[in-house]
Amino acid sequence: MKTRITFILLLLSTFTFAQNIISGKVLDQKGKPVAGANIYIDGTYDGATSSETGDFSFETSSTGNQFLVVSFLLFETFKKEIDVTNFKDQTVKLRENVNALDAVVITAGTLESGDKARVSVLKPLDIVTTAGSAGNIVAALQTLPGTQSVGEDGRLFVRGGEASETQTFVDGIRVAQPYGATTNNLPTRSRFSPFLFSGIAFSTGGYSAEYGEALSSVLLLNTQDEPDHNKTDIGLMTVGLSLGNTQKWTKSSLSVNMAYINLAPYQAVIPQNVDWNNPYQSLGGETVYRYNFTNGIFKLYAAFDSEKFDLNQKNINFENPVRTDLNNNNFYLNSSYKGTFGTGWQLTTGISYGYSKNKTKYDINDINADENAAQLKLKLGKKFSNYFKLSFGTDYFITKYNENFNDNISINVDNGYDSNIFAAYTEADILFSKKLAMKVGLRYSNNSLLDENNIAPRASLAYKVSKSSQFSFAYGDFSQTPVVDYIKYSKYHQFESEKAQHYILNYQFTQPGQTFRAEAYYKDYSNLVQYNTRDIQYNSVFNNNGKGYAKGLDLFWRDSNLYKNLEYWISYSYIDSERQYKNFPTMATPSFIANHTLSVVTKYFITDWKSQIGFTNSYSSGRPYNDPNQTQFMNGKTKSYNSLSFNWAYLLTTQKILYFSVSNILGTQNIFGYDYAKLPDPNGVYQRQAITPTADRFFFVGFFWTISQNKNENQLKNL
Amino acid sequence: MKKIITLIALFVVVISSAQTQFEQGMTKAFGLWKEGKNAEASALFERIAAADKTSWLPNYYVAMVNATAVFSEKDKTKIDALLTKAQDALDVEFIKDQNNAELYVLQALIYTGYVVADPMTNGMKYSAKVMEAYAKAKAIDPNNPRAVFGEADYQIGGAKWTGVDTKPLCAQVDKAIELFATFKPETPFSPKWGLDRALEVQKNCK
Repeated sequence: MKTRITFILLLLSTFTFAQNIISGKVLDQKGKPVAGANIYIDGTYDGATSSETGDFSFETSSTGNQFLVVSFLLFETFKKEIDVTNFKDQTVKLRENVNALDAVVITAGTLESGDKARVSVLKPLDIVTTAGSAGNIVAALQTLPGTQSVGEDGRLFVRGGEASETQTFVDGIRVAQPYGATTNNLPTRSRFSPFLFSGIAFSTGGYSAEYGEALSSVLLLNTQDEPDHNKTDIGLMTVGLSLGNTQKWTKSSLSVNMAYINLAPYQAVIPQNVDWNNPYQSLGGETVYRYNFTNGIFKLYAAFDSEKFDLNQKNINFENPVRTDLNNNNFYLNSSYKGTFGTGWQLTTGISYGYSKNKTKYDINDINADENAAQLKLKLGKKFSNYFKLSFGTDYFITKYNENFNDNISINVDNGYDSNIFAAYTEADILFSKKLAMKVGLRYSNNSLLDENNIAPRASLAYKVSKSSQFSFAYGDFSQTPVVDYIKYSKYHQFESEKAQHYILNYQFTQPGQTFRAEAYYKDYSNLVQYNTRDIQYNSVFNNNGKGYAKGLDLFWRDSNLYKNLEYWISYSYIDSERQYKNFPTMATPSFIANHTLSVVTKYFITDWKSQIGFTNSYSSGRPYNDPNQTQFMNGKTKSYNSLSFNWAYLLTTQKILYFSVSNILGTQNIFGYDYAKLPDPNGVYQRQAITPTADRFFFVGFFWTISQNKNENQLKNL
Repeated sequence: MKKIITLIALFVVVISSAQTQFEQGMTKAFGLWKEGKNAEASALFERIAAADKTSWLPNYYVAMVNATAVFSEKDKTKIDALLTKAQDALDVEFIKDQNNAELYVLQALIYTGYVVADPMTNGMKYSAKVMEAYAKAKAIDPNNPRAVFGEADYQIGGAKWTGVDTKPLCAQVDKAIELFATFKPETPFSPKWGLDRALEVQKNCK
């Protein structure tokens, strides 16, 4: 009898296991059914998957109050305490996960690269594999819209701005001297090796309140958080050698890169347009140390390079070529900490120090300059929810510059300045929905040298119109201390900051393998420095009454779907810009601006040849120049510029690469502009001399070998 | 006495019923997976994982279902969500146990998913991670057939780009096939996949 009762009890208990029916419907915020959602009672096996109509129904053996969980890939997980006896035909509304990949992102002005970027315009490898870039970050960026290629300078010119209007930041901290040393009409290159950076964000305007002291653009380079593995890189090139090593430990890692560049072999083979006494040589090294804490990461980046060259350049004002002998030593240190604490707080802090020493002999003159620049930065951010994020921080810039000019006859003067800039900013990120996002910020700065306070508002907005397309709008006020050429005369004149306002409207269309961007902008410049002499001198009469504008349209199309193994992108920029600044007598288009710029970059991988070949064609329409023989200012226009470059990377094995590149294959005779004589000849005509590249072509052959311990071990075991 | 026996019997029944519940759930989930109902299979494995936190298998299969779904997924926008889901599930088990070779094999598979999804962007970064994960798996269990085969297979797959010599890799595939023959899964639901694919690769080696 007893056993019978137990059996009945047992039977009963199995019955009670499946007693309650839970049913309902899963909908998204718009009321559309969500199919495939996982609905279950937490801690039990009881659950179901929602049908095409969003309906679900299942039995549960649990009793009383339980947690009902509804989860689905792109939505926030829903969790609610329910009474299992009383949950029938209920509606569960899932909220979209705004962190999901397809949420709207503000894109006005920003071109991103790297694995963290949601929409990569440029991929990390592109810097190295773009024909004509020769591993120069800046040269690769010059194939993007909004930039001007200024062949005799080599720096980044963005949307009608001078090169000095773009600031470079490494891990959020400014680099005071981002370019190598150069002289008259010789192009420079970026100091940074592209291999150490995992992400690049290049903003052509309307950027965040976090960044100041830049009128046109910011270039943000982020060093890798974590290197891949232990490895040694060896590079043998026609122009020098490079060596790198990375060591990885449990919590920390160290990378060291060294490079020696000597252009002598190249200059011996390719005919040069200038006469070199000593070829360009540089010895440089950089190192990154990273340490991972439980809640943060510490990074130390240090770079050193020493450059020298000696050449004779023809100068229209002198019968004989003028000799320039230049020596530059540069040191840069950047240390930063990024971490989280408390509930959702993020802390970023860092310090940078840059030192540059330039010794130039120009003809019989000696010019010695040194600059010390430092930045301290503290930034705090808090994510209150997926919909609201607030960040604020402060910055302190210190710059000391000193220059000695000695003509070895009668003049021996020192000029320089000390500048301290304090800045504070705050910014809010608001996501109204997955479709609408806004960022508003405000930056305050105090400049002790210029004795002024500035408040700069910034705002941007993005609206997603469909799954693959969105509009963004950005507005911002920007200010920047005048360039060193002016403020080194601060003891003779009180300067003011130069100012710009940006208005940007952006449209972006993306789908896998394809990106299209169109951006229209208007920039208003004011407070630009003017002077009344031919050259900038201590006794020039300066004022801050200059003004200008730039407006234009940038188009970008990148596609990898057209043809298998082919990737290409096309950038087109139209710009209309005039300024009255420097010693311009009227509003005129400066000489670095070409109205139309077109770049076509292609990369094609040939599997059978284990090769990637690439072509880059850069075209820009003629640039203005001033001909003193004509009455109208800046009336001349050069012929258009074109350069077709080619590169070929051949994989010998996984770890050995042979690389070949040549720029301007067609040997187009490009002219960047003209230098006119200061004085007319006896017939009253100002003679001129064309500004041309130092050589019509640049070629490069390199062999790169990566030795990675990981793979070596594997190969040994295999043998 | 009878009472005690019935109590014990009852106990056994409850326990065995609890066990069959796990087994039933797992069997059903495998069935769904075989039918190609990836979302349902993943959901069921997820429910089992939530209810039974002692076994690493349910989360392993949540990760496995989503990671392998990537290789046949045509909608590229979903790939990242699937891999994130796989990684999240795997991370839960990694916290509990860092000495399980199978978890590292699966980790390598997730990284491979990233490489396959966008080789241009992810190739350089994730290839190193794939190799690192297989190396870890082999360090823990040198005779795990999936680790031995996976590592060789990944390199053979890349050989046409990298030009790596496939001969020693094919030898590794042969070795893995031998290991598959002697491999005994700990439980009926423990990972035992990989032999079919290995035989296929072996065919192409010759």
